[in-house]
Amino acid sequence: MMPLLGRPLIVVSTLVYFAACLGLGVWALRRTRSAHDFWVARQGLGVVVTGLATMAAAFSGFVFLGGPGLTYRIGLSSLFINLSIGFTPALLAWALAKRLRLLAEVREVYTIPDAFLARYGSRAASGAAAVAILAGVVGYLGAQLLAMGTLLQAVLGVTLPAAVGIGLAVLLFYSVAGGMMAGVYTDVFQGVLMVLAAVAVFGYAMAAGGGFSRVIHSIAASPRFGRPFLEPLGKTPALTAFGFFFVFGIGVLGQPHMLNKFYMIRDPRRLRWLPLVLGLSQTLCLLIWLGLGLAVPALVAKGKLAPLARPDDAAPAFLLGFAPEPLAGLAVAAILAAIMSTADSFMNLGAAVLVRDLPRALRRKVGNELLWGRLATAGVAAAAAALALGYNDLIALLGTFAFGTFGAALAPALAVGLNWRRVTAAAATASVVTGTALNLGLEFLARQTFFPALPKPPLPPGALPTAVSLAASFAVLLAVTAWTGRREPPLPEDISAVMEA
Amino acid sequence: MARSFALVLLALASLASLAAFLGSPGAPWLAACGGATFPVALIALGAVRQGRFGGLGVPLALLWLLLAGGLAAVLTLPAGGPDVAGLPLATALMIFVLVPVPLLGLGLLYAFSFGRLGIREEDLERMRRLRRSGEACQGDQ
Repeated sequence: MMPLLGRPLIVVSTLVYFAACLGLGVWALRRTRSAHDFWVARQGLGVVVTGLATMAAAFSGFVFLGGPGLTYRIGLSSLFINLSIGFTPALLAWALAKRLRLLAEVREVYTIPDAFLARYGSRAASGAAAVAILAGVVGYLGAQLLAMGTLLQAVLGVTLPAAVGIGLAVLLFYSVAGGMMAGVYTDVFQGVLMVLAAVAVFGYAMAAGGGFSRVIHSIAASPRFGRPFLEPLGKTPALTAFGFFFVFGIGVLGQPHMLNKFYMIRDPRRLRWLPLVLGLSQTLCLLIWLGLGLAVPALVAKGKLAPLARPDDAAPAFLLGFAPEPLAGLAVAAILAAIMSTADSFMNLGAAVLVRDLPRALRRKVGNELLWGRLATAGVAAAAAALALGYNDLIALLGTFAFGTFGAALAPALAVGLNWRRVTAAAATASVVTGTALNLGLEFLARQTFFPALPKPPLPPGALPTAVSLAASFAVLLAVTAWTGRREPPLPEDISAVMEA
Repeated sequence: MARSFALVLLALASLASLAAFLGSPGAPWLAACGGATFPVALIALGAVRQGRFGGLGVPLALLWLLLAGGLAAVLTLPAGGPDVAGLPLATALMIFVLVPVPLLGLGLLYAFSFGRLGIREEDLERMRRLRRSGEACQGDQ
């Protein structure tokens, strides 16, 4: 991305955005007095806040930068990643949101490993979930910090380490000071910004291309892209497209940065409107993916934009070359918002694993969770930043399959285990270990270039390793339950009540 | 009975998806069947109350038909089928049907069935009572 120092409105919008985040951090600091405030925002959120915060945490910079780039590269088959958005909000609500929120009604659960401990009464299952989360957090958080640094480097014209440092300082201020209280309310602010920018950029992109019909026609008539660009599979193998659909549609049930928001809703009866709020905000946000994914190829087809050397430049090329400066400023702030809202959730999750989840799994208790939570948040962020700067290739690689690791590790034991009493702790632990180990192993073998002697995983062309891991994790959960759970394991009365409701 | 049905669907979907992504014959069709069945089975499992789907049977069957039909259209229509509004039919189905119809349909269904299948006042009262008794037990210890 070219330096943006010559674009004062973009720099100003970035600084205003940072100032707003810092202001929210100060506001949250005054309201964060206990671990309950720090980890679950005092369980005081309304449904709109919960829906927007969940959307903002779920959608990283990939939606704004990677999505249009992927569409430029492979055509509309990239939409298989988003196709499941039609049912995932309701799936989350029916399979998990109610159970998790009711669990928080009867027990002191703040994290996803807490839910494992409450449901299965097993420190092994809870510890395995904590380790899986930590593995995903390192990659996800590191990748977000790298993306934030790259963007700020272009906006502010500083070196990458300085850019990561500036962004990290803002993130640390509000996350350490206000914990999840700050995280959630900055997520809401960031979510609103993301939706506004996505809708505005979509509208402008379609107008720049001459309207939806002309955009489509330009692409179809172009020798560079042609009609295959618009076809559902295009040049993408069916197994890859359906793998996207499966992984993003079902793996969503294991994303801890989304799920732990369900604990925080004040009145469980407000969950009634969660699927609509979450689904509509996600759909509006994804308009930028579709808008830029179509407008940029159309502009290239018409000769108004030079063909892109790097597909990931699709969004910056449009914003800097075609969008008016105020819109570009809004979009840059929204991209930062998307990155930082995901990053702050992972800082909180990583800290919770270190201060709460792993000690509990090892039968230890940390004395002052609020103090240690703050220190751990800073420690997790600093470690992720150091790893991201020192081993950026490895961290970028880990970041690409963190979503799959969470899904394969956690989705079966949560979505099935919270709805079926016969699932045993052994089955849950086996599923978590299978999902984590298989996904990390297969993805690493498939993508790594560090060790040329290592073999590629024995998968058919186009098959996604994460899809194999996710399906295998479900199969293992069901098989081990069938083997070990011939009788329903006895459950505490409160957990039984949560599962019967 | 309803829970068993959902679990059988889930087991079949798991095996179909695993076989598909490991490259068995007919892999794309197995992946399509597994992909359409997984969300339906999991929603059904989460919605079962006192052994019944509580009126969700038909909507979930329609959801399965919609997803399976959409994915089948992707596989069967050559080059995505004839153009509709400038887009290949299968792509138009993805953008204008497979996303908005379930989003609104399931969202509204969840909202309007919440009083029966979601969280009821008596559920909340039971949870609060259990929490109080749990805290009392801890206090006694």
